[in-house]
Amino acid sequence: MSIKVYLVDDHRLFLSGVRAELDSEFRIVGAAYDVDTAIDEIRALRPTVVLVDVHMPDGGGIAVVEGVTQTNPDVKFLALSVSDQAEDVIAMIRAGARGYVTKTIDPDDLADAIRRIDAGDAVFSPRLAGFVLDAFAGAIPSDEDPELDQLTSREKDVLRLIARGFAYKQVARKLNISIKTVETHVSSVLRKLQLSNRHELARWASKRRIV
Amino acid sequence: MQPTAPVWTFDPHRRRSDRVVAGVAGGIADSLGVRDGYVRAAFVTLLTIWGIGGLLYLVFWLATYEKVEDRKVPPVENVRAIGLGIAFTGLLFLLGALGLWPSTVVVLTAAALSFGTAALTDPSSPGPFAALMNPEVKKVGKARLVLGIFLLAGGIIMFSTAVGQVFELSVVFLAVFLTGLGVFVAFGPWVRRLLGDLSAERSERIRQEERAEVAAHLHDSVLQTLALIQRSDDPQRMAMLARHQESELRDWLYGTAPLDGADLVSTALKQAAARVESDFQIPIDVVTVGDVAIDERTRALVLAAAEAMVNAAKHAGVDRISLYLEVEGDEIQVYVTDQGRGFDIEQVPSDRKGISESIRARMAKVGGDVTIDTMAGEGTEVMLKLAP
Repeated sequence: MSIKVYLVDDHRLFLSGVRAELDSEFRIVGAAYDVDTAIDEIRALRPTVVLVDVHMPDGGGIAVVEGVTQTNPDVKFLALSVSDQAEDVIAMIRAGARGYVTKTIDPDDLADAIRRIDAGDAVFSPRLAGFVLDAFAGAIPSDEDPELDQLTSREKDVLRLIARGFAYKQVARKLNISIKTVETHVSSVLRKLQLSNRHELARWASKRRIV
Repeated sequence: MQPTAPVWTFDPHRRRSDRVVAGVAGGIADSLGVRDGYVRAAFVTLLTIWGIGGLLYLVFWLATYEKVEDRKVPPVENVRAIGLGIAFTGLLFLLGALGLWPSTVVVLTAAALSFGTAALTDPSSPGPFAALMNPEVKKVGKARLVLGIFLLAGGIIMFSTAVGQVFELSVVFLAVFLTGLGVFVAFGPWVRRLLGDLSAERSERIRQEERAEVAAHLHDSVLQTLALIQRSDDPQRMAMLARHQESELRDWLYGTAPLDGADLVSTALKQAAARVESDFQIPIDVVTVGDVAIDERTRALVLAAAEAMVNAAKHAGVDRISLYLEVEGDEIQVYVTDQGRGFDIEQVPSDRKGISESIRARMAKVGGDVTIDTMAGEGTEVMLKLAP
């Protein structure tokens, strides 16, 4: 049973390129160039994984993720972007995307990421790992749920290695843990990222935008 | 043919710029259409007649307003200048006839000295001797010069005679002093003008050289890059070229060579990575966590990291490199990682300077640590660490 993939990107050339790369391995059920079409078609076609661009007219990737998640919470999103804007990336993750990769990712890694998302794991590119480390750096906040508001040292170790460009397999070997454990750490970080109401997160993200 | 001076523009003003005391003489000169030096000379001469010059100056000062805008000196019309000269001489005679005449020697000395100085410092006449030799200088100019020198010499002689009689000073001493003064007065303006010409010429030459340098630089860099971009049909390469050119141009425009004027380590590392990217056509993923200002130590860190990136690009045989910066508290760490072929550190020839000098020695100098984690076939990671 192959994975049903849907693509959303206003950049047609890029879209056709990705489509050609993924066609042999996945079932591409459709593609859209704009937010409204994407939401309608995803609701109708029920793909398992949606690759969605962060920057698009009319609300961007966030509008797609939020629009679909209301009615179809089982659809999983992987954010794809050329953007270095931390705020947008973090916003996508908080809206419900399970991963973020840059558009320069090579086809094999992208295919790998889609499989991982389908399996329920999180996909962190080096840049997302860096964003998260940066956002969670600093003093421990005095919130009601401190567990959600900071990373464990093991989670930090995993993120650092991802940020340094290592694949999950290499991270596992370097830390002498199993790949499954690496995936658990990353998923736990994703959950914290989505649920934490750590105030530094918002402040950090808006600060990043100015820079 | 010079444009003629206005017939008579009665504009009772004082000059704001180019004035000696309060701009009164300059204002009168502008109104009469003569050089200000002659009007000043007239005031000086009148000053010797029981201070009438000073009194007149005060009267004019009160009767005029201060003009803000730049003056425009109307060209001197010779006939008018002669007429005014005769009128002034007449005024002197009138004062004499009225009994206001303290001493012929003093008045004539003052007149000769002040008018002589005015004639010699007249900005319309060139340097005295060069002018007399130069056939192109107008006869009027030559005549004015001769008159100036004559008056000055006469004044000096009269003055020295008068003062010598009164104070019985050594004639020799006085002669030496006055000769020196005369030479200074006569040649001063000429020397100054000569120097002025020289510096004007020098600054013009510098401007020309700068323009040539700008043209050469733009040709070597920007134009070449634009040509490359036009001929390239690979958007990624175009972007790389453009990015590299931009950082190089900034570098050149704002003149900070080694680190492109970046003041944060993250910016400097990104610039270094962009340079390696465009030089070797290998993308570099730059991830930074935290940041710190550039100083002597972090500068070394950035340069060492740049060298590590170049090594990875040259030798690892990979299609991407990772650069990771983390600043946590006082500790700064930089990782340059590739998944390439790796190498055996023991096998690196000792004459290869990249690692030993550009990385290890550079970091050692600022008290930093270098760890290189590599094995043949296992990729390479260079870890650079600065702790306080």
